[in-house]
Amino acid sequence: METIAVYWEPRIKTYSFQRLTDLAFVEFSYPVHEMKSLGEILSRDELQDVKTKFMIAQESDGDISFVFCLPHKEGKDFHESLEKDLGPTTHRYIYPVAIIFFHGPHFGDRYGIADATFSTLSNADIEVIASGCSSASVFLVLVQDDIDKAEKVLGEAFEVAK
Amino acid sequence: MQNLKVGGLKQSLELCQFDLRGPDSSEKTVSKISKLLASQKSNIEFLTYNPNTNRYHQLTLCVSQDKFSSTSKILKKDGSLPTGWQITWREHVGILTVFPHHSPIKILGVIMVSWGAKSIPIYGIATSLSAISFVTDYHCIDKAVEAIQHSFQLPENRAPLKPEIRYYQSDIVKGE
Repeated sequence: METIAVYWEPRIKTYSFQRLTDLAFVEFSYPVHEMKSLGEILSRDELQDVKTKFMIAQESDGDISFVFCLPHKEGKDFHESLEKDLGPTTHRYIYPVAIIFFHGPHFGDRYGIADATFSTLSNADIEVIASGCSSASVFLVLVQDDIDKAEKVLGEAFEVAK
Repeated sequence: MQNLKVGGLKQSLELCQFDLRGPDSSEKTVSKISKLLASQKSNIEFLTYNPNTNRYHQLTLCVSQDKFSSTSKILKKDGSLPTGWQITWREHVGILTVFPHHSPIKILGVIMVSWGAKSIPIYGIATSLSAISFVTDYHCIDKAVEAIQHSFQLPENRAPLKPEIRYYQSDIVKGE
């Protein structure tokens, strides 16, 4: 059975913009063939209560690189714990960063969401530190000072449902 | 010891994956690529972007498998990517989304252990407010689901949600 749905929005609708501030950005890479041993480190009980607000991973050239954004204290502890356990891997730590995230009624089912998002930020000269879009959500990690400007320009590009 | 609880699983239809990598560029690559794909009416079902200043910038995206040829063609066209950028792809991937109750890092770790033991690859991960999505080979999805069902407590009789409808964006615009 094929279902064809037809809809179009002059401005893409979103439910709301939500923000998270004062986060620590932690990045590291690990060899893909050692995924199981990294999994053993990350599945330890002491990391059970670490609440990551954002996570992405990308695979390339035999490595998998991870980005986590966590509340400041948890991020600092997590970073120190990784440095101790992982040994000589590439690490990056940035504090503070902020996240703005949003989702909408048709996200995931239509094209143009990423274009509207990244073109808007690019035109406003807002640097994206990292981004992850899945499950009909858009997450943007930004320099903390840019969060107000980002919400303003995205609010003009998208229609926020009332 | 009891397995960790997760709220459920959802799997995608068949997708393809493109990894675009290159050095820092004055070109606004993500904006440009997302505009190119929008011009082809391609819905990006998964995207991660990490402009890593220590190594290179990487944009990973997944689109429907039936868009592989058109997407590949437009991304490989001269001038689509900044100088020095390269593109690699996987023609047949799928996304398995896990809905955790809590402990997302531990859940990630347990999945890496169980998939690693069964040689199930992870090509990408992204989180949303309530879910963690994993990109893997499409032909491995059933094995990946089975590994998760063995490693976590899932609600009883909860089979993974499988999509039954694929949406297409029509060219007809309301009001025309």
